[in-house]
Amino acid sequence: MNGTGAAGGARPARAGQVTRLQGVPARAAAAGAGKTLRFMSRALGRGGGTTLPGHVAGRIDPGLVASLAASLPNGCVLVTGTNGKTTTTRILAGAARAAGLEVITNPEGSNMLSGVATSLLVRTNGLGFLDVPASTIGIFEVDEGALPSAIEALSPRLVVITNLFRDQLDRYFEVDFVAKLWEKAMSGLPPTTTVVLNADDPQVAHLGDDIDAKVIHFGLEDRQWARPALEHAADSRRCPKCNHDLLYDLSFYAHLGHYACKECGWRRPDPRFAAWKVKLNGVDGSLTQATTPSGERTIRLPLPGLYNACNALAAAAAASCLGVDPDLVQVAAEGTVCAFGRFERVSVGGKNAVLLLVKNPTGFNESLRLVLSAEGPRYLLFGLNDNGPDGRDVSWIWDVEFEACRGRLAYLAISGQRAKDLALRLKYAGVCADYRSRPAEGPAVVPMLAEDMVRAFFRAIEQTPEGETLYVLASYTALWTLRRELVQRGHLAPFWRQVQATRSVTR
Amino acid sequence: MKLVLGYLYPSVMSQYGDRGNVLTIQNRCEWRGIDLEVDALEVGDRVDPDRVDLLLTGGGADTHQRLVFEDLLHVKGDGIRQAVEDGAAAFAVCAGYQLWGHYYRTAGGEDLPGLGVFPAHTIHRANQTGTLLDTITKAGSTRAVGNLVVQWGSRVLVGFENHGGRTYLDGGAQPFGRVLAGAGNNSEDGWEGCVYKNAIGTYMHGPAFPKNPALADHLIKAALSRRYGSVTLDRLDDGQENSARQRALEQVSRPGRWRRLWSDGVG
Repeated sequence: MNGTGAAGGARPARAGQVTRLQGVPARAAAAGAGKTLRFMSRALGRGGGTTLPGHVAGRIDPGLVASLAASLPNGCVLVTGTNGKTTTTRILAGAARAAGLEVITNPEGSNMLSGVATSLLVRTNGLGFLDVPASTIGIFEVDEGALPSAIEALSPRLVVITNLFRDQLDRYFEVDFVAKLWEKAMSGLPPTTTVVLNADDPQVAHLGDDIDAKVIHFGLEDRQWARPALEHAADSRRCPKCNHDLLYDLSFYAHLGHYACKECGWRRPDPRFAAWKVKLNGVDGSLTQATTPSGERTIRLPLPGLYNACNALAAAAAASCLGVDPDLVQVAAEGTVCAFGRFERVSVGGKNAVLLLVKNPTGFNESLRLVLSAEGPRYLLFGLNDNGPDGRDVSWIWDVEFEACRGRLAYLAISGQRAKDLALRLKYAGVCADYRSRPAEGPAVVPMLAEDMVRAFFRAIEQTPEGETLYVLASYTALWTLRRELVQRGHLAPFWRQVQATRSVTR
Repeated sequence: MKLVLGYLYPSVMSQYGDRGNVLTIQNRCEWRGIDLEVDALEVGDRVDPDRVDLLLTGGGADTHQRLVFEDLLHVKGDGIRQAVEDGAAAFAVCAGYQLWGHYYRTAGGEDLPGLGVFPAHTIHRANQTGTLLDTITKAGSTRAVGNLVVQWGSRVLVGFENHGGRTYLDGGAQPFGRVLAGAGNNSEDGWEGCVYKNAIGTYMHGPAFPKNPALADHLIKAALSRRYGSVTLDRLDDGQENSARQRALEQVSRPGRWRRLWSDGVG
């Protein structure tokens, strides 16, 4: 039910393939059916209708998405990676718009091929042909597993890969398996395509070796963010070329850093887009100074954390490949509207909450680090579900460094279908008071447990004093359930409307 | 009392949260006043059978197995076999379990020789069916992924399995338990895991110990008994552990929701 099912409907068809005689009626029917479904979905309040229309249309005319993509006047860009693809896509799309391009993009989460197809479908005319200005470009985020089929169907001019961490192993099975899929997809890219890769992630940087496509690396050069040792959540400590140990000179987070293989000499490529100074302003954002082929650039980002600074750098590198001035990345970054659960701020009855989506050990660790970065005790709500989009396997919480919360929490609520698993994890992390107190490390908390995410949130926000912030760290469907309720109560806008709002503001 | 836990290949073979098993042993020993030392035994480190009381090894991908199998055979093998023969406790999960059998035949048809602690062998499902693993869908079709519920003596254990290999026990081999939900060893004979003396091999991730504290205590007790003779463990308050297990069991039988197509923007 999860995974590749939705994309499976669109059998690969080459872009530019000669349309069969029945092609036009078929594509008109496909596009029409898709658009009707989208209209109905929104009218019936079932949501934005961001994937089903593309899926159905793909069933009617499997070659539709390829031929639509082929007729995009300025081609398309694919952004993938375990973490950061949504934010990178948003910043890049913003920069492209600021440069005067008309951008077609897919709403976050609808990142299988069917989601991309849907966003193209809604721009078709009655005959099923794209009806867009000559300045149009497609900028799509795609699911890690969907990258090969997306490359095949969309023939992108630019592919951006942010990183590769262990994530949803019930769905991707093994980190190496995704790496192999990517490697194969990369090897088929023509020399006209450019690939933007993270130099700090060995498995991603390695994708640029021995391929026909042009390769541009981006990376972090600021030594002040190096950590003494690789974390437990680090996935690839091995040389992707010869499988021997990689030696790390610097380690930023997870397995990202400056590395070299002691056996075969393979090492981190020198990034052409290099962030040599990153200043983090706590939860408020960051200021990045970067060297680019077109000179020094400063990127001010209203999103916090080192990982978001890296996303902005990736977007800057991608933008310059499109001929968009990196200065516009700065403009776009400043106006970035927060994506679903990416440090989304909510105000409820005069009290503040921040929503953070956590999907995997690395993302969870970085979010925790961010939340705990400022002095003082914290008000936290953790939510864990085990539906398909969350990952049905919850074992990954044991690879998260919850120990960092010891003595740092003023209030803790635990929620979601697997709240009890989380509570157990926190017990064994020594965070909770009812179990063993660690006086030397500050006060321990007695967690409030409520499986219902909405109830847990409103109880937690009640317990959060004015002037304090409740940080909500939750898995996909847990956060989605909460968000839907906040939208219904008028505290937040539905995210597909947010995308529309961004579009009309920048136009 | 003092115990030494040998944690095999923590940087390579701990991909599925199996570190939780180590944390559980650490805590449950500490709460009872048992000193516990953890030896991280990476590639190149030997296993001293007189020093280790409890060995843990977790899951990893095929590539990880290929990285460690020679070390396991030639560097650690004798130590592990001697320790197990002598009654040391051991818990080998998934990839670890596979490599402690006679051999593991990979998807590509390569036979990785194993330790032979467990009288069992493993064959990747893709090798049985001749499936080429070039898409996620195809890889998914060969794997056993989902919640795993096992009858272990009088107890019901719950965890999660995620494996491409199918394990077959030799005649006379003692299985770890009976599968109540999930695939277990091979989804054919209804057995899960293998037991030899105080060593347990299993496909149960989850990790297995936190929600199944009786299993953790069983191994702690076995390890202590080998060193100090018959012991009784202090009882701990396992209310939270048991209730998490109960809740996980409820999730197993829950109908599927969140179909991708109807979910808007999710996944």
